[in-house]
Amino acid sequence: MTKAQQRPLIQEFRLLATPVVLFLLVFLGFPAIVNLIYSVSDVSFETLRQPELSGLKNFAAVWSDSAFWQASWFSFRFGLLTAVLECTLGLFLAIFLSPLIERRSWLMAILMLPLMVAPALVGLMYRLVLHEFVGPVPYYLWTYFGASLSFLGPGSAFWTLVVVETLQWTPFALLLFYMAYQAIPSEIAEASAMDGAKSHHRLWYIELPLMLPTIVVALLIRFIDGFRVFDNVYVLTGSGPGGSTASLSIYIYEAFFKQGAIGKAVAASVILFVVSFAVLYGLNFIASRRKGAIR
Amino acid sequence: MITALRWLAFATAAFAMNFPILVTLSTSLKSTRELSTNPGLWVQAPTLDNYLAVFQVTDRLNIFLYLFNSLSVALIGTVLAVALALPAAYAIARGRLGERTLLPFIVNLRAVPLIIFAIPLYMMFQWLALLDTRLGLGLILTIVNLPLALVILVNAIHDLPAELDEAALMDGASRTQILFRVIAPVCRPAIVTSLIFGFITAWNEFLFGLMLTTSKAVPITVGASFFFAASGGGVQWGMASAVMIVGALPPVLLGLIMYRQISGSMTAGAVKG
Repeated sequence: MTKAQQRPLIQEFRLLATPVVLFLLVFLGFPAIVNLIYSVSDVSFETLRQPELSGLKNFAAVWSDSAFWQASWFSFRFGLLTAVLECTLGLFLAIFLSPLIERRSWLMAILMLPLMVAPALVGLMYRLVLHEFVGPVPYYLWTYFGASLSFLGPGSAFWTLVVVETLQWTPFALLLFYMAYQAIPSEIAEASAMDGAKSHHRLWYIELPLMLPTIVVALLIRFIDGFRVFDNVYVLTGSGPGGSTASLSIYIYEAFFKQGAIGKAVAASVILFVVSFAVLYGLNFIASRRKGAIR
Repeated sequence: MITALRWLAFATAAFAMNFPILVTLSTSLKSTRELSTNPGLWVQAPTLDNYLAVFQVTDRLNIFLYLFNSLSVALIGTVLAVALALPAAYAIARGRLGERTLLPFIVNLRAVPLIIFAIPLYMMFQWLALLDTRLGLGLILTIVNLPLALVILVNAIHDLPAELDEAALMDGASRTQILFRVIAPVCRPAIVTSLIFGFITAWNEFLFGLMLTTSKAVPITVGASFFFAASGGGVQWGMASAVMIVGALPPVLLGLIMYRQISGSMTAGAVKG
């Protein structure tokens, strides 16, 4: 095909992609601009339409707010811990249970069930599970050990949330790893068995390296989802006790809805916006370079 | 011996991961009297009273409205996302348009904390009178669903042989005609997968439901938390459990029926995305 023939085709492709681009411009482009303007303005609910420029005051307010740093630290620690726990557990289960699941795929459906339930509902369910009078966990602890813990009190709330998140999302890692494990060609297992390799050697030197890209991707996805956590934490602890379980998402939500500090909430959004896109595009860049190297 | 260990591991994992669901189910079947005496997992005298009570509409709590809202916003958010993603996916996969700009941007959207757009969207919705409307929440859920729908559809169209398009081009069909008459029918499994996946995601969404609705358009995830806001005399745990089971049921059933497709698309979104 010549260039002249190709042009109308490209125009038609552009036309097909137009709706989604327009939609994104309206629902993300416009909000992004509002974010930027408000983040450098003195703005309150009364002066929404006439924001007055105030330089970087809002950013300074966020920067010097210890709650912001506490929330950042919570998000980071929560994301990292849950990602590592979920992937470790998921990897073990995927490999250890694969002989069972291969023959009875409905077992996987049972393990995947938690993924279908809204995290907000799971959070609410744990209010029941951990309740001191009607919850079975404190009840059984009292019955068999004669003592119970204050699961959502200071000190333990963070760890309770880590367990709640890990138990709900380990199935995600398990599923990804099971698929990757099944995708390893059976010839590899047969060939290494012929060479007399022991099964744990095969696992360590052949299968795990083959699954490594999937492991990295799963760690990344689970870190991101843990980092931006909102639903289950919000319904279980709010942000308490004493703001110790506020994630960055909850920090921004509360700055806006509970304190009416629009400028601060928006400035924190802009910081999060810049950091997350920088990190994501950085990762894309690394991934595409590595792909190029392999080609 | 090792098989027994495997079964033990399976039983432990399945029990631990589904524990909150089991507890809620068991509590929802307990009578008010049993609730105060038996916090254990086993129900001595199962009853459906809590479910009957949940479906009694009061001026404060209306479960039918919450379910209807969730259904409507999930349908808007799912159908619109696929309708927007399909033509774009075709342009990306076949026209190589925006392969390095639009596609990575939308895919990255899946990983961005969406709260960063929430405050301006809240203000925008106030100006447009979209706050507390099903349409408004549905539009936001479209953004939430776009990335995965796009990845699934781009991958599906990539996997189709190019001869399919070329043969139709020879017959004088336009790209738009090819998309709707040739590509879309062949891609039906991928379209169905993105619809199911989107529906589950949208039904389970909480943050935007919490921020953008107050009474008329409240979805079930937010409505369920209303049952925990006690109206004097503490939380009625039996009712609260029943509403959670009802609210979790649609996506769980859909997921169980279609879990093969879903597991496939989860890996697609993760590995290629």
